[in-house]
Amino acid sequence: MSEASVIHDIGYQRYTGPRLGRLQVLTAMYVHGLRAAFGFGRSAKAKIFPWMVAGIVLLVAVILAAVRAQAGIVALNYVQFADAMSWLVILFVAIVAPELVSRDMRSGVLPLYFSRPLRAADYVWAKFAALVTGVWLLLGVPQLIMFLGAAFTTKTGMRGVWNEVGDLLPAWAYSVLWAVVFAAIGLLIASLTGKRAFAAGGIVAVFLMTTPVVGVLSILPSTDAQQLSGLASPMTLVAGVGTWLIPASNIGLDLGRFGVVYLIEALALIATCLLLLLARYRKVASL
Amino acid sequence: MSTVAYITTRGLFGRRRALLLLPLPLLLVGLALLCRSYDVPATDWGTPVLVGLGLAVVLPVISLIVGTGVLGSEVDDGTLVHILTKPMPRRDIILAKLGVAIVVSAVTCAVPLFIAGALAGSAKLGVGLAVGAAVGACAYSAFFLLLSLVTRRPVLLGLVYILVWEGLLGRFVSGTRVLSIEQYVITFADRISSSDLLVARVSLPVAVVLSVLITVGCTVAAVDRLRSFSMAGETS
Repeated sequence: MSEASVIHDIGYQRYTGPRLGRLQVLTAMYVHGLRAAFGFGRSAKAKIFPWMVAGIVLLVAVILAAVRAQAGIVALNYVQFADAMSWLVILFVAIVAPELVSRDMRSGVLPLYFSRPLRAADYVWAKFAALVTGVWLLLGVPQLIMFLGAAFTTKTGMRGVWNEVGDLLPAWAYSVLWAVVFAAIGLLIASLTGKRAFAAGGIVAVFLMTTPVVGVLSILPSTDAQQLSGLASPMTLVAGVGTWLIPASNIGLDLGRFGVVYLIEALALIATCLLLLLARYRKVASL
Repeated sequence: MSTVAYITTRGLFGRRRALLLLPLPLLLVGLALLCRSYDVPATDWGTPVLVGLGLAVVLPVISLIVGTGVLGSEVDDGTLVHILTKPMPRRDIILAKLGVAIVVSAVTCAVPLFIAGALAGSAKLGVGLAVGAAVGACAYSAFFLLLSLVTRRPVLLGLVYILVWEGLLGRFVSGTRVLSIEQYVITFADRISSSDLLVARVSLPVAVVLSVLITVGCTVAAVDRLRSFSMAGETS
């Protein structure tokens, strides 16, 4: 008690190395988000659902490629494949979007993130880019498998391969559109609740409840209403843009003269969802 | 038992969660009204609205939200411990929660389906759909309640069942229809209303036996599972 108190040097140091900026935070979040989308770096339990969906899609692609190689029948072309997988894409978004944004809210790490140089817009972009990449990989890799199957069994040599490349590239662009539209809507819904279960249910409900609206509008006694009916659901909206921009796709939608309306609505929908996301992250009080 | 039911109901309807149950039924009735007001023949819109939206989406999704909500949210929050430590049989806890889930989802689905059915054809069609939905709500609720006890991600697993099993496989692989609650509901509604808008693909005895089997079996399994339930922390 009598000795004078001493402050011991226990080795605390200031960090003097280089400090990485916003770009590096953004890249790190993007990579982390993409890994989380497929459950990499998480337990085996986290991999079950995304890989189950990816497995089904890959299996379908392999079957289609095999049927084409053996029997020469093109059951689904590249664009139709993306449409046929729409339910699985919904399921994938419902699995991954809550994983990306709802978890952060639930575990209360948002204030920690935003105490870095990271801005709200960066956070949204990183998560959005990760989800878009994830969904695009989900569709693009199976399309590549179908392409490889077709390219290696073509009867017309290099010309046949070039033909296939010409079919594959627009289909990849179409998959990007799928990914962007679905990721924007999915992230917006997931960002509203911190409970992953509710977020997943909400995403599926929104996508599923819009489909019958299209069915009903398409039987109204008005040609305009029928041709515009696809606007009511994200899935037919994307299919409509595909029909308009890729005439060879044979999706089988009758758009009449309204093709450009589909494109405008798709762009407006994406922009609105992203703006709403930005607005939502202006305040990050935990939900 | 009544206290558990009361707490469960309050948990379901407390805060903003109850609003989640509103849009789907409203959309169903709204679409039926829209078609009715444009004088579209019911043979055209009956199947997409009543079966495509009503029985394939509204009923399973609402049963999923409610069925996993009654027990799953308490497991998530950890408040289930408070009920488990009370000196009451686990059977009563399950039965009370299942009862609430069935009543809530049956009412939320049967009422709009009755209105839409009455708009599409006759009150008989409405009654058929409502009874089918009520029976379906029992089977779905018991199934999803069991799911929320056997897995940490009941909603996702339930969505997989609804989307992949009933949605994708039920459409392309005819064999899975025998094990699909949606098909039982369609069979009941078809038999009661004998309307040509509905096409039953499963025979009535199969539907009755399997519905009862699913409801009772899942309830018994849930009771058994809750007997040795261990609360674990957040995983994965």
